[in-house]
Parts: sequence; C-alpha cells; structure tokens
Amino acid sequence: MDPNKIEIDYDRVDVARIMDQIKEKMAAESANAPDAPGTPPPGPPGQESPAGSGRMRQVLLRLMSPLRPLIKLLILPVDEEYRRTFLVLDHANRRIDRLEKDRDRMSGELDRLREYTKLLHHLCHNLVVELSKLKIEEETLKTKTRVMEKDFEFLGKREKALEKEISK
Amino acid sequence: MRAAFVVQRYGLEINSGAELHCRWVTEHLKKYAEVEVLTTKAADYITWKNHYDRDEETVNGIRVRRFPVTHVRNPERFGRLQESLLHREHTEADELKWLDEEGPRVPRLIDFLKSRAASYDHILFFSYRYYHSYWGVKAVPERAILVPTAERDPVIGLSIFRDLFRTPRAIVYNSLEEKQMINDLSGNEDVPGDVVGVGTIVPGRFSGEAFRRKYNVSEPYILYLGRIDENKGCPQLFDYFIRFKRDSGSGAKLVLAGTTVMQVPSHPDILYLGFLGDEEKFDALDGAEVLVMPSFYESLSMVTLEAWALGKPVLANALCDVLKGQCRRSNGGLYYENYPEFREALNLLLDSPRLCRALGENGRRYFEANYSWEVIERKYLSLFTRLDGEGAS
Repeated sequence: MDPNKIEIDYDRVDVARIMDQIKEKMAAESANAPDAPGTPPPGPPGQESPAGSGRMRQVLLRLMSPLRPLIKLLILPVDEEYRRTFLVLDHANRRIDRLEKDRDRMSGELDRLREYTKLLHHLCHNLVVELSKLKIEEETLKTKTRVMEKDFEFLGKREKALEKEISK
Repeated sequence: MRAAFVVQRYGLEINSGAELHCRWVTEHLKKYAEVEVLTTKAADYITWKNHYDRDEETVNGIRVRRFPVTHVRNPERFGRLQESLLHREHTEADELKWLDEEGPRVPRLIDFLKSRAASYDHILFFSYRYYHSYWGVKAVPERAILVPTAERDPVIGLSIFRDLFRTPRAIVYNSLEEKQMINDLSGNEDVPGDVVGVGTIVPGRFSGEAFRRKYNVSEPYILYLGRIDENKGCPQLFDYFIRFKRDSGSGAKLVLAGTTVMQVPSHPDILYLGFLGDEEKFDALDGAEVLVMPSFYESLSMVTLEAWALGKPVLANALCDVLKGQCRRSNGGLYYENYPEFREALNLLLDSPRLCRALGENGRRYFEANYSWEVIERKYLSLFTRLDGEGAS
C-alpha cells in the first residue's frame, strides 16, 4: 500500500483507520525529509566550495559557539518536545491513577485481613480461657472424686466394723 | 415524583456549560416529574456577585428558588490560592479553604437542603467542583445524584473530590472517558451511574446560505464556536491554521464565533464574528465545511454534538480524550495531535466533500442514537426508577 495515498471506504468510513493512515503518511514524510539540523545540505553536483569560504565558515562557527545553546533551542522542534513530555506526563498520570486504584484495593484487602486476624486472636484468647476453666473444673472434679473415694473407703470400713459388732 | 436540580447559576441569559445543560435537562424532565431548581442569585461565574433580586421566580414554567451568595470571589486571590494548592504539599483543610474561595458560597441553600430534603425524591447536583455540590451532596447523600461535568483538569485530583465521588446515591456521567477518569481517581465503581450526557435543541429552520450572505463569506470555511480562550486551545488553532494556509495554499477561511478573552490574530483569512445567537449559530454550522474543536479539556462538548445533529464533520484535538473517543465511537470526525496531522486531516476534509458527507452522516446517526432527547429522558427516568426500586427494597 502506498503510504502517501489515504484509502477510504466511503460506504463504511472508519475514522481510526483513516487516522492510522495519516500517521503512517506523516511518518513516511518525516523519514524522507532532509537531514536533521546541523548536517549541511549537500551542494549541487560538480561544484566545490572555495577554500577561503571554508576558513571563513570555521571562524564564524567559532565566534558563534557561545550562542550555540540558544541557537539549538531556537532550531530544535521544542513544540514536539512539549507534546512528547505532555504525553509522557499523561501516561505517568494514568499509571499513577491505576497504581492508586490498586493501592486502594489492596488497602481494602489489608483492612479486611486485619479484621480477620483480630477475630482469630479473639477466638484464640477465648479458647485459652475456656480451656483453663475446663482444666480447673477437671482438677476440682478429680479432688472431689478423691474425697468421695476416701469417704467410700471409710464407709466400707465402718460397715464392716458394724457388721462385726452385730455378729458378736 | 419530585426532583430538585441544584446548580451554580440559572437563567435564560446563561447559555453555556453545565448551567445550560442543567436547564435543558430540567425543562425536558418537567413533563415526567414535579421539578424545581435551587440555585444562587449570581449571574457572573468569575465573582459570583448577587445579581438577581427575587428569592423565587418561574423560568420557562419551572419554579426557581434563589439563595444569596455570602462571599464575592476575588479572582486574583483565588488564582494565587489555587496555584499554591496545585503546586505545593497541602492538607485537606487547605482544599476546603480553596473550595470556600471557589464558591459560590451559599450556606442558606445547604440549610434549605438539610431541612427540606425529605420533600424531594431525587436531588440532582450539577458541576462537582463548586461549593453547592460538595456540601449539598454531603448534606443529603441518600437522595443526591451528582452530574459532575468533569474535565481532565488538575483540580479533579484534590483529595476532597475523591471522597465526594463515593458519596452520592448515583452519578450521571457525560462520557465514557469521564466515567473512566472518575472511577480511576476515586475507586467509586460501586456507586450506581450511567453515561447520559445532554441533547441539544436544533431550530426548525437554519440556512448556511443566509449566513454566508450576511457575513459576506463566499469561500469554504472551518468554524470554531465557543469561548475564544487559551484554555480552549485557541492559540494552537490560530498557529496551525496560519501554517496550514501558508503550506497548502487553500482558500479556506477560519470563522470564529463566541465571547473572547484573548486577542484574535489579525489575518485576512481569520474572521471573528463576536457572539452569535442560537439561530445564527446553527446557520453558521450549516454553512461550514467542518467544525473545529481545539480544546484540550472537555467533559462532553455540546457544540460537537450540535455539529453532528446537523450532519457536519468535526476536526478535534486528539489530546482531549473525550473528543477523540467521541470521534472514534461515532466515526463522525477526524482528530489531530500535532500540526502535520492537522494539516493532513484538514486537507482531506476540504478536498473530499464525499468524506465530509459520510462523516457528517455518521455523526448524525450517533447523535440520534445517543443524544436525542428521547434517549436522554429515558436514561434519566430509568435511573430514577432503579434508585426508587433499590430504595423500596
């Protein structure tokens, strides 16, 4: 496809496709454009520059060297730089938006986990308390059992003693 | 059903932006609900100075309650405050101070909302960035529907607004891009909402020929409608158009209409006509080859929709994501990011009436499918029904 020709399907116009073609055409044009500033344009074939003008050019260049940054600033496509910077900033902003969204989402998740951990902690605490109470109860019951065993033993002995007395 | 519309200014003489948007929506919903408008007494959006005397009046059959502004804005002080807020580290208290200065400060309107909220089923707040919306939504969150009309300008990043976008019962967006931006900024995906926008009122009769005769324009022209302002990308438009004329040798003219806050360059092919009334605006659109929209920040661009309503193609600034998105969804306009793209796209449009017709026709279809008043009214009513249903359950 010829990048200099923009093909349009008039029955089903697709703006995105037209814009892609325009962008391609612009890219092809800039690729075919003359060299960047700083590279001298080639002179006409068969013509040599006189040595004198070359020396003069060197002197002029040396004289102009302090002004070089200013000249560069004026020559360089600053608006293109601005546009690029704008796009980079826009991209960075979108990325920040996305990261903030992720951060908010993760912060929500973190809050949920924190609450869950708190609940688990409460549960563990309650279990420990309950187990301690059960242990104490068990000890109490064991003691009671021992006392009752002794009582039972005593009663048994007493029963035997009484039986002996009766049989006499 | 009773609905209140809360907006910073209201009146027949205020005919642009969110205020016009609010008035049109109110007037179109009048036939379905008992509607009234709660607004300020200001007419000037720079100072918010009280202008209207009466507390209550009827505008096009709608009851309008006006509340006095208690603080006149000093633009210079406000500018300094905003500059410092946007470029320095600050606290939420600084942002609230900025909001107070931004105005229009109408505490009696907020008190009225607090005391009378129960008498309305829905309260719609227009423009997120003003005092009335912020404190109004906070006062009656369970009935509040916010219509942010937000653009991608730096103020939207303030932390107070992140909270605001999570507060109302529902949000009515102007475009998919606006919704995406607000969702990204505030994480408010769970707040119900819909992309609605606004329609336009096309006069029954308009004539490009009459416009050309009146202003003596015989050449093809591209048209810019709206405030001629640096913030609207006008300096770039002038620069690109002058370069385009030099590079292409085209005979086209650039016709501008609207109030101006900057110097229009003196150039034989740039024609500034001043402010045009509605009828003349549509005459101008009818006679134009293309409508150009150089703005970097737009929430919707009503003038773009008006061009499409008339079947005219649009050439828009692609650095405004809303305009680019609208052009791509509608296939109704081309867009540019830099001068070479502007030149190429404009050449293409001026050289190909067939392309202009096809783009214009796509634009008209897109407008009718998404922005005709039947569609807008239906979307609002279905949102109300949905909220009523959720409230009942």
